[in-house]
Amino acid sequence: MKDLTLAESYAIISLNSLDSLQMITIKRIALRCVAAAAILELYLNEGFTKLGDKYLLKKNILDQPITTLYQVEVLKKLFKKQDCLEGTLEWWLRKASKLSGRELKKIEHAITDSLRGVDLLEEVPNLLGCDLEYVTATISMREYRSNKSEFTKQTEGIRSELLEDGCITDESIVMLWLLRESCCLPEIFSANELETVLERFNELYQNNTLAKKLLPITIQNKMEVIVKGFLLRKKRFSKTLTGIGLNFTFPIIERTESVFIETEAYFSSADQRLEDVIKRLKKYQHEVTILRAGAVPLLKIDNVLYEAAPTARVYKIPVHGVQLRRYQMY
Amino acid sequence: MSRQRSMEKISESEYVSIGELVRITECRYSTLKFYTEEGMLPFEQEEENLTRKFPREKAIARINEIQSLKKQGYSIPEIRQILNK
Repeated sequence: MKDLTLAESYAIISLNSLDSLQMITIKRIALRCVAAAAILELYLNEGFTKLGDKYLLKKNILDQPITTLYQVEVLKKLFKKQDCLEGTLEWWLRKASKLSGRELKKIEHAITDSLRGVDLLEEVPNLLGCDLEYVTATISMREYRSNKSEFTKQTEGIRSELLEDGCITDESIVMLWLLRESCCLPEIFSANELETVLERFNELYQNNTLAKKLLPITIQNKMEVIVKGFLLRKKRFSKTLTGIGLNFTFPIIERTESVFIETEAYFSSADQRLEDVIKRLKKYQHEVTILRAGAVPLLKIDNVLYEAAPTARVYKIPVHGVQLRRYQMY
Repeated sequence: MSRQRSMEKISESEYVSIGELVRITECRYSTLKFYTEEGMLPFEQEEENLTRKFPREKAIARINEIQSLKKQGYSIPEIRQILNK
């Protein structure tokens, strides 16, 4: 079993199910935190020289074999032409989190390559890529998928440390801060658990030196956080019964949850429709299992249940097909 | 500063925390907490420090035993009875 670095552990949690091709807002937030994690790794491993409350780092660290590729990418952008840099921890974290989209893309390549090398992250086709509009526009949609057992190990590891009494390791404090800064805490903890987490935050702030230094620092970009909050709330709503119904009528609400696959023939039979849907899904490398046939078949696509409801979309001419509708078991 | 132990160190130590047990067994925290509270997992708790310590080898063997009994179709109360025999 390989011990992952802090940035790798964080990337396993935060990059899972994010678009791998486009620099979407949620991914931008995650990558800013990956850059901050690279700095915090150096801080925890005493890579900085402490000068009062400031931390000094020389450029020759880039040539040292222990420096990882993603750390090199982050530090190269920070040093530019300077030979050494010094600043408080807050200064380092803020500087690392303010990289441009192009710089973040390079960091993304470095961190994902290191995870792909050990089979902990893969790129899979996104279901939306099967939609008629995306297919005809030749838009490819792919997303990251973290290794399931490593994802569980990381998320459950942090949950156990925070929800259980006892001391918390420095790595967990840093991870907690990264998850807070990237607004990922509600994805790991339930609403009740978040209250316990908040209590732990206060307790840590009072008793732990690292927490006292780190927790007051924030690297969030307010606009990005607002956008992420809105998108998450929209996605959560689209999974409720009302949301599923509304999204079926108005797919614009949550595009990823309403995939339209056209059938080749007008007024095709249920079997023909199903055949066309399966053909399209398999063409885009999705795993499909038919759980129920009939007029509205129930399909298991990449472990998520969907109903394939027959419908028609009106463009210049009406197009017959099916719309995949998330199936919730209550 | 209290640092996270490496997997190598965890797999050599006699006692592990619940977080470390989660990392080595890949079980969910809530599952292990449930097993502990149901008295199915052996642990030690010192009075001064309330942190639970799990004897690594015994705890892993017990988790494997519980999982194998679950696969055989036993319910949790039945597994508890079997383990208490």
